[in-house]
Amino acid sequence: MDLVAGRAYAQERRPIRHVDAALLGVTGLLVVVGYFALYSATNQTLRLDGLDPFLRVDKQLATTAIGVVLMLVVASFDYRFLKVYAGFVYAGVVLSLILVRLPYIGSSQAGAQRWFQVPGVELMQITPSEFAKVGLAVMLAASLAELKHATPTVRDVIKVCVIALVPLLLVFLQPDIGTSIVMVAIVAGMLLVAGVSGRQLAALVAISVVLLVAAFQLGVIKDYQLERLRAFIDRENTPADVRYNLDQAEIAVGSGGLFGQGYLHGRQTTLDYVPEQHTDFIFTVVGEEFGFTGALAVLTLYALLLWRAIRIAFLSKDAFGTYLATGVTVMFAIQMFVNIGMVIGIMPITGIPLPFLSYGGSAMLTSFLGVGILLNVHMRRFT
Amino acid sequence: MDRATSRLKVLATIVAFTFVALSTRLWFLQVLAGPEHLREARDNSLRTVMTDALRGDIVDREGRPLVKNRLSLEVRIKRDELGDQAEATLTNLSEILGVPAQDLGSQLETKLYYAYQPVPVAEFVPEEVFFKVREEPEKFQGVQVVEQSVRSYPHGELGAHVLGWVGQISGEELESPRFIGYGPSDLVGQAGVEASYERWLRGTPGREVFLVNSDGDVLREFDPVPAEPGHDVVLSMDLAIQRIAEEELAAGLERARGVFDDDTGRYLAANAGSVVVLDADTGGIVAMASSPTFQPRWYVRGLTPVQERYLLQSESAPSLSRATQITYAPGSTFKPFVALAAVKEGIANLYSRYQCPSEYVHPGDESGTVFHNWSEQVGGYLTIAEGLKVSCDTQYYAWGSEFYRMAVRTNEEPLQRDVRRWGFGRPTGVDLPREAAGIVPDQAYVYDNPDRYPDRLIPGVDILLSIGSGETKATPLQVAQAYAALATGELCRPHVVARIEGRDGEVVKRIGGGCRRIPYPETDLSYIRTALRSVTTGGTASSVFAGCPLEVAGKTGTAERGSTLIQDTSWFAGYVPADRPEYVVVATVEQGGFGAETAAPIVRNVMGRIYREPLCGGESLGEQAD
Repeated sequence: MDLVAGRAYAQERRPIRHVDAALLGVTGLLVVVGYFALYSATNQTLRLDGLDPFLRVDKQLATTAIGVVLMLVVASFDYRFLKVYAGFVYAGVVLSLILVRLPYIGSSQAGAQRWFQVPGVELMQITPSEFAKVGLAVMLAASLAELKHATPTVRDVIKVCVIALVPLLLVFLQPDIGTSIVMVAIVAGMLLVAGVSGRQLAALVAISVVLLVAAFQLGVIKDYQLERLRAFIDRENTPADVRYNLDQAEIAVGSGGLFGQGYLHGRQTTLDYVPEQHTDFIFTVVGEEFGFTGALAVLTLYALLLWRAIRIAFLSKDAFGTYLATGVTVMFAIQMFVNIGMVIGIMPITGIPLPFLSYGGSAMLTSFLGVGILLNVHMRRFT
Repeated sequence: MDRATSRLKVLATIVAFTFVALSTRLWFLQVLAGPEHLREARDNSLRTVMTDALRGDIVDREGRPLVKNRLSLEVRIKRDELGDQAEATLTNLSEILGVPAQDLGSQLETKLYYAYQPVPVAEFVPEEVFFKVREEPEKFQGVQVVEQSVRSYPHGELGAHVLGWVGQISGEELESPRFIGYGPSDLVGQAGVEASYERWLRGTPGREVFLVNSDGDVLREFDPVPAEPGHDVVLSMDLAIQRIAEEELAAGLERARGVFDDDTGRYLAANAGSVVVLDADTGGIVAMASSPTFQPRWYVRGLTPVQERYLLQSESAPSLSRATQITYAPGSTFKPFVALAAVKEGIANLYSRYQCPSEYVHPGDESGTVFHNWSEQVGGYLTIAEGLKVSCDTQYYAWGSEFYRMAVRTNEEPLQRDVRRWGFGRPTGVDLPREAAGIVPDQAYVYDNPDRYPDRLIPGVDILLSIGSGETKATPLQVAQAYAALATGELCRPHVVARIEGRDGEVVKRIGGGCRRIPYPETDLSYIRTALRSVTTGGTASSVFAGCPLEVAGKTGTAERGSTLIQDTSWFAGYVPADRPEYVVVATVEQGGFGAETAAPIVRNVMGRIYREPLCGGESLGEQAD
């Protein structure tokens, strides 16, 4: 082989030359949309409390900066290292999920033990279940890539499920139903792509249903979660205070009409009628102030993001990369669908953040982590 | 890897499907249901608060106030200003109010008020509370002491039944179309003029619209519409005459209770009664007293259990106006109208004499029913005038029989038709609520009430009607209205309000009597008037009016109550001066015995005091005469 040509070829295939610019661009746009929505959702209440109206936006900016660094770090080393160290990642995830349940170490709110308080920095909290989603995807990708058969055997499936079940249960018991749903979706999506037979998938679904019924029977599901579910299924007969969130969100999004009420002019948004409108319900701001066109634009951005992500899974050089990208894809897809779905009333209310738009540090960092992994797999598809 | 590729396509399809689902739902929510949601968003954030208008005053015909507004101090707490001082503030407040702090605290948990609205926790507090709160505002963070207007009655119970009272609107009223625009805590006239002129007195509430966020913080206040005070209502009632009527009614009842009644073998109960004074020309009610009575101011703070029992549960029903809401058999006060009907229908004439035996049996009646004259001492052949003067009953029985025969023959009821022309048997239309209609028994009434008339139509219906007895029922106001018509030749709708004035004193509306002529020849009317004059000069009421220089025409009445246990209703209806009538005065006393005994002296005294005629206001009692 011509040395020079070979060098040129190698040069041509250097990872840095294959950064997915479209993915980066779409991510950047979503983050910017997020800032605007966040400012609209929070400036009035902050002002009323005598605080800087940019307080939350500033914090989100700081988080973004950390997120970008994290993304670059993750994208910089060869993702295949992850396959080797997946066990450590997994152990770390499980350990942090156990630690967060311990008194004095983990912090809780509304009965859920969920995060670590960073000492000395009041506003800095780390929610391990967020990171656990990516950690789980890494571990599962590594496990699936190691399988000896082209189609996973029943044993393989059981092995993978047991691996997934440990962090999943820890998250479920916090309780964090939203993240549990995302994790289940990641497992299901990765098993699907890994080629598990239809019969096995069906069996898994059946087992999940049995477990879910058991969870209800054992009282693991809290009352408020049941109420939310009931509000979703039988809305007409739900008391107004239980329905409140649902109703206000629908009014907000619905009142946006075709073109929206204009930025910073959304009535529901400026008057703070939708609870959690800066976190889980951030999409109400988009819907109310930018209308159907704005909502569709944001959906388009997510569609582009997912298109790039699935494309990366296709193009991956090895099975590990494919599975890894699949895991991240499913994570973004399920969060986007369940979150927006709940805001507009076609999904029950569960605490799932909208990637890049919802206010919240750990969720933001996890999303950047996901993009970092996607970039990594994409960059190294030739090497 | 091929398998992965095909499976990735499946995944991509699923993802694509989620976008379709979300976009479709958004289309429905935002584009199709958008306008509806926009309206909901607006309703969410706009809060309207009504401000009360100052209620109009009620004054007498000379402009003397009967019902006014007075300021009462109310303690309110602004919950959003309590802050972390809530406990201390409530403790301090409980000390000066003498109310447990816990009670104050629990009042704050109300959902009747929005977060930004102050919650009233104490009413009618003494002035010192106001000063204490003002002196040490730091101890009373979030506490306001504000002036609130409430009804005040400078003359106490005077005219209570006419004036009425105001109270919180009832749930039933709130739903009725009459009270559109009223809120659940609004005060509304519940009786008397307060109720019948509610529309004028109330005024127009002001309106403030606030833009509030989900916490109830007010972000913006839109131009408030100030409340417009209500109109003043000027009564035809005269404060001085009303006082006279009430005093004389009370004194008359008191006197009657000292009279022994032979029929029942006990003293007269004289438990209730009324006096009506009408302006003969206009139908304006100059005075209207009803006993027993009550204090309208009881309702200002809400009734105490004792007051509630007295007003609503006691048999004497003090809240009912005896003049308009309770009916009595009018007895012999009814006779002039029957006599005029008899003349009009050709049964009797002004020049003949009619036998006045001590008892009467309907010709051909073999049931053994005998109708007695009230006194066996009256007898002989009498003209209509002479019959009225001594109140002969049996003459009227004969005319009643004749009317009965006419009714059977012609299928018309001339007696009923004629007496109705004087306003009997239907509400007078007085501007006071819940007026009783009275009863003029006719064939329809008989058939509608088989329990009272087991034998169906019998001559007795018309015979008893002819002396205003039996089932015949009228309110004292109806009798007064009829006597005014007799005195002037015009039937007027009685009314207690003369006019409605704006705050600057301009007249907004005049209330008239809508008088119309009575269809009787003047000769017949003046004949009866002369006869009624003779009642006080030489007839049943002559001893009552002896020595009284006022020219009074009138008629006594003694109505049996259909039970030997209940004493007779005592009536006197008259007008003064006889030739140029100014006032019609009617007194009615439940269980008051003979008309001349109890009611006539009340009327004489009222008239005597109106005309400042001491010779008419003596203490002498009339003799036992109907």
